[in-house]
Amino acid sequence: MAEQISRRTFIKAGVAVGAAVAAGTYFEWQGNNIPAAVQKGTALYDVLIIGSGGAGMRAALEAAKDKNIKVAIMTKLIPTRSATTMAQGGMNGCTGVTDSKDTPESHAFDTVKGGDYLCDQDAVEYFAENAGKIIYEMDYYGYPYHRQEDGSFHQRKMGGSSHARAAYYADESGLATVHTLFEQCLEQNVEMISECQMLEIVVKDEKLSGVIAVDMRSGNIVSVPAKTVIVATGGYGRAYWIRTTNPYSSTGDGIAACLNIGVPFKDPEMVQFHPTGLAINGVLLSESSRSEGAYLLNKNGERFMKKYAPDKMELATRDIVARSIETEISEGRGIGEGLNAAVYLDFRHIPKEIIKERLGQVYDLSLRFEGVDITEKPVPIRCSCHYSMGGIDVIDYKTCATKVPGVFAAGECSCVSIHGANRLGANSLSEVLMFGKTAGIGAPAYAKKVGYVGDKEALNAALAKWNKTFEEVTARTSGPRVVELRDKMAASMWFKAGVYREENQLQEGLKEIDDLIKEYKICYVGDASRNYNTAFMNYIELGNLLLVSKAIIMGAIARKESRGGHSRKDFPKRDDKNFLKHTIISKVGDEFKTEYRDVVITKFKPAERTY
Amino acid sequence: MAITLNIHRTVADKKWVQEYKVELKKGMTILEALNEIKAMQDPTLSFTASCRSSICGACAVRVNGNAELACEVLVEDLVKRYKSETLTVEPLGNFKVLRDLIVDWDPKFDRMKKIKPSLHPKKEFSPEKGCKQSIADFKKYDEYAGCILCGACVSECNKSTVDEKDFLDPFTFVKAAKLVLDSRSRDPKEHLQAVIDAGLWKCMKCQECTANCPKGLKPAEAIEKLHEATFKLGLTSSVGANHAKALYDDIYNTGRLDESKLSIQSEGLVAAALRAPFAMRLMKTGKLDPFEKVPVNPEINKIRDILKNAKEAE
Repeated sequence: MAEQISRRTFIKAGVAVGAAVAAGTYFEWQGNNIPAAVQKGTALYDVLIIGSGGAGMRAALEAAKDKNIKVAIMTKLIPTRSATTMAQGGMNGCTGVTDSKDTPESHAFDTVKGGDYLCDQDAVEYFAENAGKIIYEMDYYGYPYHRQEDGSFHQRKMGGSSHARAAYYADESGLATVHTLFEQCLEQNVEMISECQMLEIVVKDEKLSGVIAVDMRSGNIVSVPAKTVIVATGGYGRAYWIRTTNPYSSTGDGIAACLNIGVPFKDPEMVQFHPTGLAINGVLLSESSRSEGAYLLNKNGERFMKKYAPDKMELATRDIVARSIETEISEGRGIGEGLNAAVYLDFRHIPKEIIKERLGQVYDLSLRFEGVDITEKPVPIRCSCHYSMGGIDVIDYKTCATKVPGVFAAGECSCVSIHGANRLGANSLSEVLMFGKTAGIGAPAYAKKVGYVGDKEALNAALAKWNKTFEEVTARTSGPRVVELRDKMAASMWFKAGVYREENQLQEGLKEIDDLIKEYKICYVGDASRNYNTAFMNYIELGNLLLVSKAIIMGAIARKESRGGHSRKDFPKRDDKNFLKHTIISKVGDEFKTEYRDVVITKFKPAERTY
Repeated sequence: MAITLNIHRTVADKKWVQEYKVELKKGMTILEALNEIKAMQDPTLSFTASCRSSICGACAVRVNGNAELACEVLVEDLVKRYKSETLTVEPLGNFKVLRDLIVDWDPKFDRMKKIKPSLHPKKEFSPEKGCKQSIADFKKYDEYAGCILCGACVSECNKSTVDEKDFLDPFTFVKAAKLVLDSRSRDPKEHLQAVIDAGLWKCMKCQECTANCPKGLKPAEAIEKLHEATFKLGLTSSVGANHAKALYDDIYNTGRLDESKLSIQSEGLVAAALRAPFAMRLMKTGKLDPFEKVPVNPEINKIRDILKNAKEAE
């Protein structure tokens, strides 16, 4: 008997190797970035997390508390390279340690008001009730909080907050978040499927089968069966390519994958623009520039904010300042052209010592990228896409579940929705931790209850399809280049669906993106190697960004009002009668469909948003 | 001005150096030069990058033999520094190369696991109530929390080049120092013993890590702090600690080093005996005289005062 099995195994293995050699698609695995069982295709995860930022790692730690739950994090880079590292200000949460007058209700109200009443208030209340607990937990995990006299962490007050409620580490709060979580993941041996770009979440007849990904090192396509998937892939600011503060990796991968399995994209048009990105490359100059008193000047040297916000001047809210800058540029009072057109940020009246002491990073970045010493010359700046309020439609904020059973989402890729039409500073770190944790409880519970309902055949079919795609697209020798399409997309998005929007331009933008989607089908990747093919990765990311871009524009066309991050020139007022609603965009075949869902209102009646 | 970048390429089993030319622009970093080459000239050139604001650590490479964050360092500055319009870009040193400028972090993370890399909080703390820590205690480790894991330090580490298997990467020592110096820790020895076992005393003190850290974190100083901690916490039964103790005792007793006894005192009689052939060779060439009587330095009292003051200053 034993001999029979071994003989059979021997022959099967021989056939498999022969087939692989013939197809030329299987390559030697290098290193242990991927567990052996995943390489063989025999792993079955209870919880498979896509993305290793704050939300992904926090979810993994929560799920891994139950030793019977098999959990892994898949990431396209390595675990500490995420957008979370870039968060500066801190994490909001009511604890009362610094300001005893703070209450969860106050946090909830600030959040709802900041979000221009597009937040689901039940979710916001749940968030505000629990955000404080997250700060204590991170303290226990080893987060290096700045301290106050009584030994407790210290909390500072951020823009739009009524109380001091952001706990922090220097101006590198996100960095500390990522590394604290990573230390825990290492110590608890959380499985990592590193350097693996997700290609598809496989769902057939509403049943989740698993995930298809490409192992960057070998170029092998892998299928990873899973009972549940938590999507934690971050935002989609790269739709605006150079005009974003986001990392190169914020390409909306999870949102696109979800659109393809029938999970809607909620409020895609809600994108936050930061007023002060460097003109040359969109890199963020901290909000502290304006709070330390820098002036905004147009090309005539005029402090133009006096026209738009005569009282607050440069200290007006992000959205008002952003719109003012764009108006100056569009009316011909800016400098430069195209995506790099700009206005000036002037620090010359601020004492040099203060600049050195409090604006060291702003000084360095301006000197490095623009070649400008801000103590001597004003630096050219322009708005830069900063945060994605919209995202994967989460239908249960207490579990982070989406419409497709077994598929969960958390962090910037998701829309729970607590940020509504505009996010408050220091709410993003608390969101990733708090809803990462929530998903890390919700997903394993579902996995235990339902088990694996997937279809291995469906996974195999998807695997074969992606192998074919890889061969086909990387073998092309001509066609529009990926970067060419990417730059066209960024220009369309910035000029047709940027800070200001209006019907005709949006319609033009939609047509342009549709054309790009067609061109994408024949585009030139330029690298046929299986070994760490970053050109193929960029090709996949562009495909995802094009879907996201289309949804942004469709959402922007449908929302005929101005609210938070969304400003329509042709509809300059907020319209609660018709648009106190979420935009719900779904993909049906190749077509997109727009629907609405009412915003959940509990305690806070919509009022005009003034500061 | 056209700049030539000689980039060390690796694809699968092939290795070569490829020459690219880019036109120098205002504010052009190495990363932007790489991006431009990939976009306009050669889509096969591979590297990793993410935040482009010096905080995610993804884009560290070696330029003319020194580790740099590609997103941070200006081509123009490098041209001035090296007085050459030709620059050589390589992957980080002391890493296995996966492709072109992309390196393998797996062994680094595996080694990091050895030090029990997370805080083990004291019993009185809880996830519900968090921890307490004075501002002064926070200041003891806070800068080490600024490590971005870019790998620049280990790229130039001489000890790692000789043998990395019995050593930790400099950034792991930084993490260890952070954990050992954190007053929230229930027992710093849990981390420290692991660090000693993993090669704490093998640092060559060449300071390359400190010179190359883009965040100014001084990993070499972190290693020294860990050395100090072994004495403070009484974990001195190791060759390195014995060696330091032997040096101290010699200086205290005679004001001079007695090298003939150093090995015996550091490693113990048995291990030192294994060095006998080496000692014989030294004796043969007149470098070591076992019968030499080490005279006491006439200024011994002054030397003892210096030691006393140094101790008090700590």
